[in-house]
Amino acid sequence: MDPVIQLSQLSKRYKNFSAVEDVSLEIEKGEIYGFIGLNGSGKTTTIKMLLGMVRPSHGSCSIQGRKIELSNHSMWANVGSLVETPYAYPELTVKENLEIFRQLRGVSDADAVHQVMEQLKLTGYADKKAGKLSLGNTQRLGIAKALLHKPEILILDEPSNGLDPTGIIEVRELFQHLAKDLGVTIFMSSHLLSEVAKIATTIGVIHQGKLLQEIKADGFKDLLRKRLVIDAREKDRAMTELNNAGYSAVFNKDGRIETTADYALQYPDEISRYLVSSGIPPTHLALEEEDLESYFLRVITQRKE
Amino acid sequence: MAFLRAVQVEMLKIRKSKMIWITLAVFTMAPMMAGFFIFVLKNPALAKSSGLIGDKAQIFGVADWPTYLSMLAQIIAVGGILVFGFVTSWVFGREYADRTIKDLLTLPTHRMIIILAKFLAVMLTNLLLSVYIVLLGVSIGFFIQLPEWSLEMVLDKGFVLVATTLLTLALSAPPAFLACYGRGYLAPIGFILFMVVLAQVIAAAGYGAFFPWAVPAIFSGMAGTETALGAGSFFLVLFTGFIGLAATVSWWLYADQH
Repeated sequence: MDPVIQLSQLSKRYKNFSAVEDVSLEIEKGEIYGFIGLNGSGKTTTIKMLLGMVRPSHGSCSIQGRKIELSNHSMWANVGSLVETPYAYPELTVKENLEIFRQLRGVSDADAVHQVMEQLKLTGYADKKAGKLSLGNTQRLGIAKALLHKPEILILDEPSNGLDPTGIIEVRELFQHLAKDLGVTIFMSSHLLSEVAKIATTIGVIHQGKLLQEIKADGFKDLLRKRLVIDAREKDRAMTELNNAGYSAVFNKDGRIETTADYALQYPDEISRYLVSSGIPPTHLALEEEDLESYFLRVITQRKE
Repeated sequence: MAFLRAVQVEMLKIRKSKMIWITLAVFTMAPMMAGFFIFVLKNPALAKSSGLIGDKAQIFGVADWPTYLSMLAQIIAVGGILVFGFVTSWVFGREYADRTIKDLLTLPTHRMIIILAKFLAVMLTNLLLSVYIVLLGVSIGFFIQLPEWSLEMVLDKGFVLVATTLLTLALSAPPAFLACYGRGYLAPIGFILFMVVLAQVIAAAGYGAFFPWAVPAIFSGMAGTETALGAGSFFLVLFTGFIGLAATVSWWLYADQH
């Protein structure tokens, strides 16, 4: 199957600074691609190149097999986008803001505005001026503009910015529904790593303009570091016993015992049995997994080293 | 079709903005002031008793329709450079100041259509402002019962008013480019104010015919700017307008939009 979104050796150089360097990636139909990176890592520049706002210094991007260039403007009929913090015309109401984009996009369904306001829970604010909206509702309006024309592709820069916890969950469920049930392809950047981990089918890690790693969600678990965390009333004795048995245990920053020995990770029940038989029953024993945030920091730290 | 929709949207944005109503209110003062001076001029007794205002009113000459319509043309020539420039600066600069430009760049329409729709909306708005000033001015003229109304005079002065408006409209294109380049309103507004001041100095030095921003005022017969205008002066104004339009189009089509 041909990729819906394709970036080939994409680079953007400014005088003495390389914002994006040789980024290549492919996104299939119905995929949710989470693009994660620190501030200034090149996420927004990549998205702007993908949306034709910034010209690449080298390489190219294409959507549905069509190269991003001025003459291919009709491709935007299938694309909804949100770049950085969304803004709207402050003197126009929510409804008017959506209505003008319905007209500009040539959407013939006059009910489209009403539908998208319902979808994003904006109906109650339909007649409120956009300039008076809260940050969260401004974000909802931005997403509504991106979804107004029922696009097949969504390119979203930090779509969860400013949303409250309920809003984050609603938007996450909406994106999952769009991708899973309607086959919408979503390319989203975010610094909310836990949010990306919950939704993305593929995660791309960008750092200092370079795509460091691409991880499929189903293979992601294998990359996360696991550790067995143990606590006991006689910690020093437990530590000695574990080390004597060859489990390479150490104290973590919380003062608990930690081991990453393969056998211990596979058979934590055996560790418990061993400690009990040694007369040091554990008061806590848990198999903990690294989260995306720690994984991300580990990846970029390794890069720095 | 897409072009007409884009023009409609631009007109809606202008109509809904505070900018246009504040501009209209400020521009309204100009014909009212002109009417007041002509009224003072028409009533010598009032001119004598009003001191400085009476003296100022004398500058305009005679209190009749030809003088008054020339004053209106001068208002459009100088006020128009400011007001039309403000409207243009707002229409283009607000997309950067409000950061809504990103939504316009990803429409399934050629960017040229959006830019030209913006220019047409600006022209229509500025034309309507001109028509409003003329209609308000003429109403005031009738109210104070000015003498020497004739069809010949109306045609003659009407031509001056229309031509001055068109010349001034052409000069509103360069601020559009500066609004895009400067990503907001400040750069074009600073530019307009600087050009108005520079036009005064250059016209006073006798070189106004070679400076586009001085040409509309000279053409409208502004006092103290008796310089002969040749076809070259009008070409210079139109060429300046074209450069502004071309630069704006190029910016939208080829510059990186951060």
